[in-house]
Amino acid sequence: MTAPFYKFGLFNDEVSFIIAFVLGLAFGFVFERGGFGSGRMLAAQFYFTDMRVFKVMFTAIVVAMIGLFYLSWIGFIDLSLIYFGDTFIMPQIVGGLILGVGFVIGGYCPGTSTVAIATGRLDAIVYLLGGAFGIFVFGEVFPYISDFFYSTPMGRITLPELFGIDYGIIVFAVILLAIAGFTAADWGEKFMASKKEGK
Amino acid sequence: MLKIYAALPPRKQIGIIAIILGIVAVFIGNPQDNTTTTVNIKELSMTAGDNVNSVSVQELSNWIIQGKMDYRLVDLRTEADYDEYNIPSSECVSMSSLTKSELMRNEKIILYADDDIVASQAWFILKADGYHSVSILKKGMEAWKNEVVFPSCNCGEHSTAELKQLHDKKAEVAKFFGGALQTDGGTESSVKKNLPKLKAPKKVVLKTNRKKPAREGC
Repeated sequence: MTAPFYKFGLFNDEVSFIIAFVLGLAFGFVFERGGFGSGRMLAAQFYFTDMRVFKVMFTAIVVAMIGLFYLSWIGFIDLSLIYFGDTFIMPQIVGGLILGVGFVIGGYCPGTSTVAIATGRLDAIVYLLGGAFGIFVFGEVFPYISDFFYSTPMGRITLPELFGIDYGIIVFAVILLAIAGFTAADWGEKFMASKKEGK
Repeated sequence: MLKIYAALPPRKQIGIIAIILGIVAVFIGNPQDNTTTTVNIKELSMTAGDNVNSVSVQELSNWIIQGKMDYRLVDLRTEADYDEYNIPSSECVSMSSLTKSELMRNEKIILYADDDIVASQAWFILKADGYHSVSILKKGMEAWKNEVVFPSCNCGEHSTAELKQLHDKKAEVAKFFGGALQTDGGTESSVKKNLPKLKAPKKVVLKTNRKKPAREGC
């Protein structure tokens, strides 16, 4: 038996909703406890004063990556069943920039804003309404930008395929990158703290 | 050694574990070797006879005309044959590279070749490899040529309105795919069938023609 279970039809839609609900609760709880429910904490990433969110995110990426790699190695997970979207390089860069700007202005990303609403933050409610409005505008102007939306397509591509190297090497490289990132984040925090004291 | 490790702060301990796992990963290389598999004979034998495993050329032509994009059409013939003529929206995948191709296990896949034999073999390979929704195009390329691009019609004088409608539909479908209705009935072979020339370099187009929005993700 290999995961993911849903796509193998091991449980039906109704059960999958329950599982999604439970997972969502757990995810939201961890998010909240990690400090992701605070707009200040999220904005602090961009000023290098508190890199907690960055560290949590990168830790999650590394844990998931190592987990998927080894679980598929022992044959428990079938990686080919895991869905991920196609790559459209230019539109995704532009989209990422727009999301990043919204992130630093509003202090939330779509996920964290819902977490923050759960603890009753008004700014998060405004943020989510803004997000919904953005979705509406996007939907309305989509016919005019659809050419760009589908430009520079690369299909469903992964880093090992792109570089033509083994998954293992990518796994190792990302781990090194994470450790370098954590070290840099620590250094950035200390630097900003000393700068603050200096003032 | 262990003592030094135990004395480190937890974050560094975790970091060291991560690095060790990363180094091991380099030696493992690719996590999955998809060349051997087990087959659920009971499941296969139960689905093998089902009609859901086949698609008629008429159905397929309707889907293409309607712009339906929720399937992937796979041409199993040689690349030369494929370049000469192929069914619109198809992609050329050879039998040997079938399981290594871009096809995803949760996609609806329709296979065709010149006849049903090759397509059926490919069907079994994909089914055995855990591809869920695999069908074959009934009678393959032959049926496509004879029933869609160059359909014959012996409805003669359009005796009834229904027959006439059918006749017109066939003609229109054939026109859509660059063919024509063969009204000669029995003397089919006397008509020279020139398959429509392909206009675009298909390879480039086909890889990326699935304009579907991401369904999952953050």
